[in-house]
Amino acid sequence: MKIDAVTAERIGLDWLRAAIAPVGTFGRRHDEGIAPYGPGDDARAHAEIADVVALAARLDASEVGRVRAALRAVPEPSPIVARTRVGDPLGDVDFYELGRFVDALDLLARGWDAAVREPSPGKERDDRRPPVLDGLRAVLAPGRERGGFYLADAFGPGLRAARAALAGAEASFDAQREAIAARVRDAFGVDPIGEEFVVLRSVYDGPLPDDVRAVRETPTYRVLRLAVVVPERDAAFAALAEEEERARRMLAETVAREAEAVAEATRALGALDRLLARIAFTQRWGGCVPRFDAGAAAFTEATFAPLADALAARGHRYTPISLELRGVAVLTGPNMGGKSAALATAGFVCACVALGVPPPAHAASLPLLEAIVWLGGDGPAERARLLSSYAAEIVRAQAALSSASARTLVVIDEFARTTGPREGRALLIAFAEALRARGVFALLATHFDAIAETAGVAHLRIAGLRQHALGPIDGDDLDAALDAINAAMDYRVVAAHGGTSESDALALARLLGLESSIVDRARSLYEEPAKP
Amino acid sequence: MPRSSSTTSAPEELYALAIGTARSVIVVGTAKNAGKTTTFNALRAVAKRRGTAIGVTSIGRDGEPADALDAEPKPRVRLAPGTIVALPAGLIPRSPGLAILATGEPSALGTTVFARVVLPTTCEIAGPPTARAMRATIDTLRALCSGPVLVDGAIDRVAPLAGGDDAVIVATGGASGATVARVAAVAADTVARLTLPGRDPRHERERVVRISGALDARDAEALLADAAGATVVVDDPTRIAVRGALFAKLRATVDLRCERPLRVVACTTSPVGRDASLAPRALVDAVARATGLPTFDVVADLRSESGAA
Repeated sequence: MKIDAVTAERIGLDWLRAAIAPVGTFGRRHDEGIAPYGPGDDARAHAEIADVVALAARLDASEVGRVRAALRAVPEPSPIVARTRVGDPLGDVDFYELGRFVDALDLLARGWDAAVREPSPGKERDDRRPPVLDGLRAVLAPGRERGGFYLADAFGPGLRAARAALAGAEASFDAQREAIAARVRDAFGVDPIGEEFVVLRSVYDGPLPDDVRAVRETPTYRVLRLAVVVPERDAAFAALAEEEERARRMLAETVAREAEAVAEATRALGALDRLLARIAFTQRWGGCVPRFDAGAAAFTEATFAPLADALAARGHRYTPISLELRGVAVLTGPNMGGKSAALATAGFVCACVALGVPPPAHAASLPLLEAIVWLGGDGPAERARLLSSYAAEIVRAQAALSSASARTLVVIDEFARTTGPREGRALLIAFAEALRARGVFALLATHFDAIAETAGVAHLRIAGLRQHALGPIDGDDLDAALDAINAAMDYRVVAAHGGTSESDALALARLLGLESSIVDRARSLYEEPAKP
Repeated sequence: MPRSSSTTSAPEELYALAIGTARSVIVVGTAKNAGKTTTFNALRAVAKRRGTAIGVTSIGRDGEPADALDAEPKPRVRLAPGTIVALPAGLIPRSPGLAILATGEPSALGTTVFARVVLPTTCEIAGPPTARAMRATIDTLRALCSGPVLVDGAIDRVAPLAGGDDAVIVATGGASGATVARVAAVAADTVARLTLPGRDPRHERERVVRISGALDARDAEALLADAAGATVVVDDPTRIAVRGALFAKLRATVDLRCERPLRVVACTTSPVGRDASLAPRALVDAVARATGLPTFDVVADLRSESGAA
């Protein structure tokens, strides 16, 4: 689906993508391979969304949060397994990480079980349950203890003996070293801590005993080392190194046989991550299984979640929107009445279904689109080209027209408001006619009069300000004014039948604290009969 | 060199002093080759003699055969069985294998790995690069290890000390100066910074200046000009980025304090310099007098007989 940066920002697609972003690397990789649903994908989109809605009802929301947190912490086994396939040597940290992967899957599966409030209807086995890797767990088991890993003796037939030999040699080394250290203490008065120690020449500058070697000599001191000679120690060390490498090779070969199971598990985790992100979204915002309809974009009680989220952060309530769009429609209504929100909601719910997300609405009937375009205002690309607002709008409008099809939604917010009103109105009418001729879905918000009737398209309007519902307002308290306007505004989108579009601009200006004398003067000018 | 008449060696006395103060001990230095790793190894040797399992890591990179900067030979780090070590994955010895317990913060040499030594092994140790990651590493070591945690510090990387309750040992020596007096002065400057007292509301001056972040030379000059007599508060002593005379003048002019004091418990001395060596006994006593802290020479088995020892 084609959506440019300006549109993505205005219809909340950027917000939506962040809200449903997978939490782990597997999910991100999984999502990268999935394109948004488009025309012809109705069955697949329906299946995914229906699955999400059903699971959102079945799963406990707080447990879903826990499972997602656990997903974020799952280590990535793929590079390790890939190395086993080409025979690369693995280290003990690699085996440890594979063990952590097995443990993380177990934790996820337990988390899933805790989240499921009721068993999946009609299924003996829940195929959404995270996978567990019993085979890999068994392979690593001899080295696992309290979540860690050690290359245990059981991994190699010669390990136990080699380790015993080295331990014996080390004991001989320590004993011999302590014997030399005792002689050094007696001779030099210095306790040789560690492998190397310092003796000042002012303390002792004579010949060194056979079992003490100079590592570094300066005019004033010598760095010395105890020359502990235990030939069997070097041999034991070499033998153990060989046995340990052999054991690691054997273990890596066994792990390689589990590679396909690991790969399958990571794929399942990716799909689970995507699914849980959508479930969490639905549990937060609600959602419905839409009917796919190429001829209508209609929804009831839809929530433009990015706006609702922002309002909630400020302690305000969001009013859901219902709207039915067939072909092209003009949307009029008062300032602050939610025209722009209605446009954004139309784009948002269409974007939701394209991404396999249940649209947050009571019900919806939507097309799967090829493109969504927002017109109105300019974006960074236009600003970078130093275009004026008007020029930017025209350039974007032409681009939208050129690529528009019956599977395009064009949402237009006060097109041509930055030019003269007569020419702007004429342009908007002509543009609406052109959109109608191309058969696109389009919703045009405007304050110009009689656009719909002239262009021959549907006319919708925001019901508007219920003047009688307005209580007294302290003009200096903007928050109180906004709350009062919000309470008095009827945000319903209703069918309009001709007439001029009232903007309630003067009443709102007064409520928002503009000086009364200015508002009164504007009122008298507005109500003057037009001069011939 | 005569051995001390005390029945307890200097390293053992230092170990008891540090471990009696905190679960973790960090050795920092006044200069490169000031004897940090020698002190660190002396503490490890005492733990080994006592049969105490310890946790170890390094703020810098230690245990490599030669110093990465000047090719001077460095003390090796030989770890005893039972030791819990934090080191980057890239420095884990292939053999004898370690028991991997956990992984932690990333570093240039790979993820920090916490491992238990099963058979004696000699290896390089390094910690993660940031102070925050280093603190997390120390905390994890404390959680994994029942015994004390020893951290080999680094010159001028004192930031990881902040926010911890570690015992701090300051290693100094001939690498810091050519004379006993100079070494003692440098040690005193370092210790004075690291032992900055905490806030005391009962004795706070009328004007209190709060410095967020580092207190650098520019801040110091501004305070000297405008805040004489005031109480100046920084987060912790590691935020003091001024040295020497400027720091001394600042302390004399303002009531310099911190929110979270550190616990500096002792100094160690190394008489060995690059071109000359200092008198070990004189150096131990001079540093103890200058810093007011118990001071030890863990190689020559000396402890201070004056000052705070």
